Amino acid sequence: MHTLDVLLQQVVNGLALGMMYALLALGFTMVYGIIELINFAHFSVFMTGTFVGLMVLNLMGVTAVSASLQGPALVGTLIALFLATMTATGVLGVLIERLCLRPVRHVSGTAPMITTIGVAFILINVMLLTWGPQAQRFPQLLPNWRWGVGGAEITFKQGVLFVVGLLLMLGLWHLVRRTTLGKAMRATAQDADAARMMGIDVDRVVVVTFFLGSALAGAGSLFFGLYYGFTGYYIGYTTGLRAFTSAVLGGIGSIPGAVLGGLLIGLTQSLGGQFLGVKWTDVIIFSILIIVMVLRPNGLLGTRTPQRA
Amino acid sequence: MDLARWRALPLARRRQIFAVVLLAVGAAFPFLTGNAGNVDAAANAFTYVLLALGLNIVVGFAGLLDLGYAAFFAIGAYGYGIAASGQLKPEWSSVWDLFAYTGQVSRLVVPGQPDTVQFHFAFWPMLAVAAIVCAVFGVLFGAPTLRLRGDYLAIVTLGFGEIVPVVARNWDGLTNGAQGLGGIRTPRLFGYDFGFSPYPYYFLGLGLVAVAVWLSIRLQESRVGRAWMAIREDELAAGAMGVNHVHYKLLAFAMGAAVGGLGGTFYVAKLTTATPDMFTFPVSVMVLVMVVLGGMGSIRGVVVAALFLAFLQSVILQELTGWVHALGRLVGSAFLQRIELITSLELIFGVILVLMMIFRREGIWPAVRRVSALSPEQQAAAPSRGAAVQLSWSQAARADAAPRTLLEIESLSKQFGGVAAADRISLTVRAGELVSVIGPNGSGKTTLFNLITGLIARDSGSIRLEGQEIGALPAHAIVARGVARTFQNIRLFNNLSVLENLLVGEHARLQAGALGAVLRPPRVRAEERAAVDRALEVLGLFGNRLLPRLDHPAYGLSYANRRRTEIARAIMTQPKLLLLDEPAAGMNPAETLELMDLVRALRGLGITIVLIEHKLDIVMDMSDRVIVLDHGVKIAEGAPVEVRNDERVIEAYLGRRRRAA
Repeated sequence: MHTLDVLLQQVVNGLALGMMYALLALGFTMVYGIIELINFAHFSVFMTGTFVGLMVLNLMGVTAVSASLQGPALVGTLIALFLATMTATGVLGVLIERLCLRPVRHVSGTAPMITTIGVAFILINVMLLTWGPQAQRFPQLLPNWRWGVGGAEITFKQGVLFVVGLLLMLGLWHLVRRTTLGKAMRATAQDADAARMMGIDVDRVVVVTFFLGSALAGAGSLFFGLYYGFTGYYIGYTTGLRAFTSAVLGGIGSIPGAVLGGLLIGLTQSLGGQFLGVKWTDVIIFSILIIVMVLRPNGLLGTRTPQRA
Repeated sequence: MDLARWRALPLARRRQIFAVVLLAVGAAFPFLTGNAGNVDAAANAFTYVLLALGLNIVVGFAGLLDLGYAAFFAIGAYGYGIAASGQLKPEWSSVWDLFAYTGQVSRLVVPGQPDTVQFHFAFWPMLAVAAIVCAVFGVLFGAPTLRLRGDYLAIVTLGFGEIVPVVARNWDGLTNGAQGLGGIRTPRLFGYDFGFSPYPYYFLGLGLVAVAVWLSIRLQESRVGRAWMAIREDELAAGAMGVNHVHYKLLAFAMGAAVGGLGGTFYVAKLTTATPDMFTFPVSVMVLVMVVLGGMGSIRGVVVAALFLAFLQSVILQELTGWVHALGRLVGSAFLQRIELITSLELIFGVILVLMMIFRREGIWPAVRRVSALSPEQQAAAPSRGAAVQLSWSQAARADAAPRTLLEIESLSKQFGGVAAADRISLTVRAGELVSVIGPNGSGKTTLFNLITGLIARDSGSIRLEGQEIGALPAHAIVARGVARTFQNIRLFNNLSVLENLLVGEHARLQAGALGAVLRPPRVRAEERAAVDRALEVLGLFGNRLLPRLDHPAYGLSYANRRRTEIARAIMTQPKLLLLDEPAAGMNPAETLELMDLVRALRGLGITIVLIEHKLDIVMDMSDRVIVLDHGVKIAEGAPVEVRNDERVIEAYLGRRRRAA
């Protein structure tokens, strides 16, 4: 392959990966936007989502050794899979908020974030104890179709990721910009106290935000499973940190920023891996995180500065 | 000895006795247990105690959540590992002669190949080198985070914490990659090789822990420790009291990292190997759990928690597993016999973090002492409103009574978005004056104070104190020049005692640095004593309001006493110019009168005062001059009577009078 073809191929791969990071970054950004909390547990909700997806598929009779589905069966299975998994992770997110985070929401300082680290550890280790340390195969649901585009190839998998990701983001955009609930969310993000005085049930907004963010993380975890074909208790951390970098790069609190950041980090991962070596991917990504934090804490599209007022 | 006599001993003496007893118990432990496995576990546990004490400096004292602390553990470990193993074999050159001469390296001669250098640097100097190298990395990693809010700082440190093991894994030439370093030389002392017996490491670890505890205590109870805690409690107020937050945050990172480096060096010397997996995120979290469990900032709590969690890992869970298996055999349950509790260690960590944060954020053995409320007798004792005294150090200020310009502001402007909070304000304040600034809400009074004290940057204009421009200085430097303030919404350091709050106020007038704080030469001791004396003197201005509550944490004070403490803290900075932002807000009439007596007394001490106040009767009664702001513009200035009758002032307060049709 020519360098140009390799480049094109890695751009395609990177954009598909980027959709996954974007979905995860959205959860970070939304929660941060509402309650200014970096939700470490988000990583592990994502990881848990892959196992939920696995269980849902097993319940539907699809196992790691089944052949890939086609036609209406495929569409039906996918819809059921996404609905069930996203609902489950959404509920998990709400539970975390209600049980662990609400008691410390108004505590200043580092307590809320430390709580989310604790929650992350609990989830990771519950999964470890339940499923064991070895990687689990994730059923290869999608047929292995591929199309040539120039010198590169787009797989059906990537196409599905892209389309589903886009649909979810459009849905979220509609919800935040065009509905009363979305207006309540934006108001709460601006000023929670003022929103409360205007009759907005801030607790409910927070719960909804956690549900939506975690549901998107659930979709992201299915992306991970479908794309890589495996899962394990340990996948949340690295992926989650990359997603977090996406949110910061795009501008924390900004929904378009999270999407842009996710795509850029996906591209960075695939291109960096190709040209600098996979082993340095994380160094590159975390360097981006640190550099953005230092030089442009607002990110690319953010308006909110993660600094002390 | 009975408890009463023990209590009667001075704190320092009690501590000495306690330390001797603890060290004796520590020294006797290996002989008492008689089990090499336990001694080995204890020696390993000391590594974690070291790490926890180091992280406690960063998280507990300075309030900087470092999630990548294991990076310093790794740097210390690899530093010694590389220096004491055959990993690096640079070509021989004359640079190495000096090291060869002191026995730190030797020349390796292989026929047919160029000569190389065999490293075997000695352990003891490397302890110091590792600490210094880690301190440098602490500053490097800390510097980018200085402007960031707490949780962002955490993420950036986490990023560094991730990068370091990745580098260790992939920089094969330096670190031998994933296999890690091997064949690291064990320490020697006067020809005695520590080898692989746990006993010498136990005593070495005990010694290092003792040093780290001593270091922590000395730092905590010093000007440095108070500055850290002030930053932790309220960074902005700390700056307004003269604490340079850049300096002290970096110092905290450096000190914490240095202790972590000691831990790494010790650990690797004992283990004789270092692999990248030893320094991953779960290690950072484990150390964090120790600090959280013990109580952030509580040295004793952190030591106990670190020992407990280390033993939980190495001994307790194993023992419990044995019992569970025995129970399983007894009841014939195969499930119980399969359980390995050690696998749930991280689960336990997670549960500890969540439960502690929800139910007991101050830790199991908190740093803040609980003090009982004053009894009615104590409260009524020596009722005095104070406020008629003088301060020993204020004499100099009183001596030069010649009227001269102290503060000179010229055409000062500040915009927030499109709103002009200060619009070409010019004013002067003469030494010894009491000037009031009044104006409707939102007229820019507090903004003016924020500009003068450097909390916000001006857009244009100049601010001169005694003829010198201070407009571009950071807040802490302005305090040092002699400007102090109080805040409209009281900003005390809530978890510090009244006395500690005052001592932070004196930060800019004291000199002790980290070294002085640890070594406490006579100069520093004298300085501390004098500082406490001055604090007591200042508290005396408030009669018996604050003196009986010296050791009470600020969060427990009544509203009026919080106001008083904040004023006392500002006086401790020994200001030439004192800016009081609504000191009488929320006070009842009696308290207000008392406060005004105090303000008059402060004037008597030669302190120039600028007062923002809404209670106009006070303003008219006390002020030499009154300045009126409206929408960021100075609309009037003059003696109280003039201002009261000024048409524009009346208009600003009451609105434009409707003209008769």
